[in-house]
Amino acid sequence: MASVVSDTDLDLLLLIRAFEEALLDLFASGEVSGTTHTCLGQEYVPVALEPMLRDDFVLGNHRSHGHYLARFGDPAPLLAEILGRAGAPCAGVGGSQHILRDGFVTTGVQGQGVAVATGMALHYQRTGQRRIAAAYIGDGTWGEGVVYEALNMAQLWQLPLLVVVENNGIAQSTPTTRQMAGSVASRAAAFGVEYTGLATTDIGDIRRRLGPMIDEIRSAPHPLVVEFDTVRLGPHSKGDDTRDAHQLALARQRDWLGALRAADPERVDAARARQRAHVARVVEAVRERPLSEWRSPDAPA
Amino acid sequence: MTGQAVTSAEKAATTLSIGKALNNGLRRAMEDDPKVLIMGEDVGKLGGVFRITDGLQKDFGEDRVIDTPLAESGIVGTAIGLALRGYRPVCEIQFDGFVYPAYDQIVSQVAKFHYRSRGQVRLPIVIRIPFGGGIGAVEHHSESPEAYFSHTAGLKVVSCANPNDAYWMIQQAIASDDPIIFMEPKRRYWEKGQVDTDGEPYPLHSARVLRPGTDATVVAYGPMVRVALDAAAAAVEDGRELEVIDLRSLSPLDLGPVYDSVRRTGRLVVVHEAPSNLGLGSEVAARVTEKCFYSLEAPVLRVTGFNVPYPAARLEEEYLPDLDRVLDAVDRSFGW
Repeated sequence: MASVVSDTDLDLLLLIRAFEEALLDLFASGEVSGTTHTCLGQEYVPVALEPMLRDDFVLGNHRSHGHYLARFGDPAPLLAEILGRAGAPCAGVGGSQHILRDGFVTTGVQGQGVAVATGMALHYQRTGQRRIAAAYIGDGTWGEGVVYEALNMAQLWQLPLLVVVENNGIAQSTPTTRQMAGSVASRAAAFGVEYTGLATTDIGDIRRRLGPMIDEIRSAPHPLVVEFDTVRLGPHSKGDDTRDAHQLALARQRDWLGALRAADPERVDAARARQRAHVARVVEAVRERPLSEWRSPDAPA
Repeated sequence: MTGQAVTSAEKAATTLSIGKALNNGLRRAMEDDPKVLIMGEDVGKLGGVFRITDGLQKDFGEDRVIDTPLAESGIVGTAIGLALRGYRPVCEIQFDGFVYPAYDQIVSQVAKFHYRSRGQVRLPIVIRIPFGGGIGAVEHHSESPEAYFSHTAGLKVVSCANPNDAYWMIQQAIASDDPIIFMEPKRRYWEKGQVDTDGEPYPLHSARVLRPGTDATVVAYGPMVRVALDAAAAAVEDGRELEVIDLRSLSPLDLGPVYDSVRRTGRLVVVHEAPSNLGLGSEVAARVTEKCFYSLEAPVLRVTGFNVPYPAARLEEEYLPDLDRVLDAVDRSFGW
């Protein structure tokens, strides 16, 4: 039975949705330089995990705006980072893909975060901190060799490493079925790494399932692979969606937002309007800020 | 802990091989800072293929001298995570050709973290690479990949050429808050020399004149410094005094001493094992030409490996620059 989403979680979900939609608009209007990758459809994953990882180190990837917003809740610094405006955590140098803020770092380079997380997990295990290092990756990332080097070490050394796999069924434009032999589950099993797969978008359900497993990683360190069967509603980046109308319609049918609206449309629509207005105000404020300044803290005065 | 025994051993043994000097330098760095870790393939009980970490796991434990799987990308990636949590990891890459699987981590993360975090993060990682040929090994055990790393903004690259530098430079590299690629001249590991363990170390990123001379300048680094010094000794028979400069730091390059020298001698020969094409010698030649154009009596000449894959062991003597090729280049410079 589906749980009732809390106001806090609902607001966070819709904040991320509104942020990503606003970002695509900003891209279309030419205000975003470079590139960006939105997490439309996958917002519930970091929202569900956030209370369980609050004191842990989270490592994201090229599609991590949702991971960031779930952790910090405030969209202005993230937007400033992407737009290169004042108040950006990395002065706009990191941009959409390379963000560093307390206990959180992302890299767009596929798979490398898993190895970096392994080093952090080694520290947590040695110092008995009951913390974990959590790395978000996608299904496509499993093509990268470093993932296996890191998993091997994490299992060999029994490190508190959580690998969160957002399997959205498509790696840029290549369906997962055409780029992955076997499965994530069988690959984890090959290393003897604990694995669990989740098809639900129900936040309460996810927390009930994962809570005890994550607690166990803390008390008796070992790696854990959690695979979410999820869906990417938007393009890989911008304007590069190769899926046909039927496939996109199928994807939209799986949108968590549809399920929530069906249960309580008035409450969900009100929250959505609230978050859209909130993000619109943030966009207005941030785009008026001066350009960010790149200055190393240890640069000579 | 064996600190006292080591100290007395060091005092007794002021003449050390480069390999032993590196070992002693690593030991001292580990004694000085508990955050220093060593990780790599077979670095523990075996002490590494070249025994550079010999005895360190026994004395500092498996937590500080970590035997890893064969996984260079994983080793360097893990080192990044450890560095982000306050450690100073020293990664041993077993042979030069084994660094390529880690290249992605080195170039995409190690080199860029500081920059892309607006300087908030420093990665005090040392990546030790025994490099170059001359030991009768196969191609991926004999390569000179230093230019790849010197080409990469965000990395520092150094190479030691004698035991005293080996002892001090490895400690300086570990103490540095910046990531450093530490190129070790593997064919010279067994060469001995004086090590002054109580003295003041020479600055890490400074080139050094090893032999003063007036007629031509020879610049080298790592394993070719010995060749350059031998050539200078032999050139005396031809009545020529060669000035030999050890670059020591490949990135950043410290070419001040080279400019000073070339302005006096008017002739420059650069020697390295790596192929000439876009190698360190190309950069040195370009910069010297820019800075010392009116002092040059001849073009800057390069004596290097050839632009081919590193050859089979029986052919490597033909490939490696030697005394004759350096002296030939000096002759050509004078023939201009």
